[in-house]
Amino acid sequence: MPGSSEAAITLTGDLHARPAGSLAVTAAKFQSAVELAVGASTADAKSVLAVMGLGATRGQQITVRAVGPDAGEAVTAMIGILAEATPVGG
Amino acid sequence: MSDEIRVGIVLVSHSAALAEGAAEVAGQISGGSVIIAAAGGTDDGGIGTSIARVRRAVQAAGTSAGVVILPDLGSSVLTVRALLAEEDFPGPVALADAPFVEGAVAATVTAAAGGDVKAVLQAAEEARHARKL
Repeated sequence: MPGSSEAAITLTGDLHARPAGSLAVTAAKFQSAVELAVGASTADAKSVLAVMGLGATRGQQITVRAVGPDAGEAVTAMIGILAEATPVGG
Repeated sequence: MSDEIRVGIVLVSHSAALAEGAAEVAGQISGGSVIIAAAGGTDDGGIGTSIARVRRAVQAAGTSAGVVILPDLGSSVLTVRALLAEEDFPGPVALADAPFVEGAVAATVTAAAGGDVKAVLQAAEEARHARKL
């Protein structure tokens, strides 16, 4: 059942390399296309280099959008990583 | 997917420290579920490449899912090609034309997500188009 889902979160820490890796590894396990948006920049969540290239920092709002059969689960997983991983940094 | 056999990564550099450092960074970013073998330096630890070191690294990182090799510069490529010409390995082996650090990170993350050799190779090679600024 194709669908789309979207959610946003304000980063409590900078989006460092390790959480970017965690986002990309997790995003790649979903069938849905998953995109991260910060301001005018967007990145394919399945590409760790694109996610790091967003240069997202503490206090910025990051929007997760997914389109596909498991869009809702994908967005929930991404938001979970963003909520947990960014304060730690790395 | 945690019990899946993942593609291994081999990093070939003129410097042992560079290969090991890139392996450490890629391992940290990808969460540590992928075998990354560093093959840097000559047999006596100098700057250069060693076919014996690359062979050991391919044997260490190679799984039934295969292995993707990333060379840093110039003669790293020649050393890998010489090895692949003289020896067969059990799984699929691919040589990536990619920037070393970015390619290592992208390849390892894709391997960690369960990508096959083709997907891991593609992730490494697409790294040349990633902007960091």
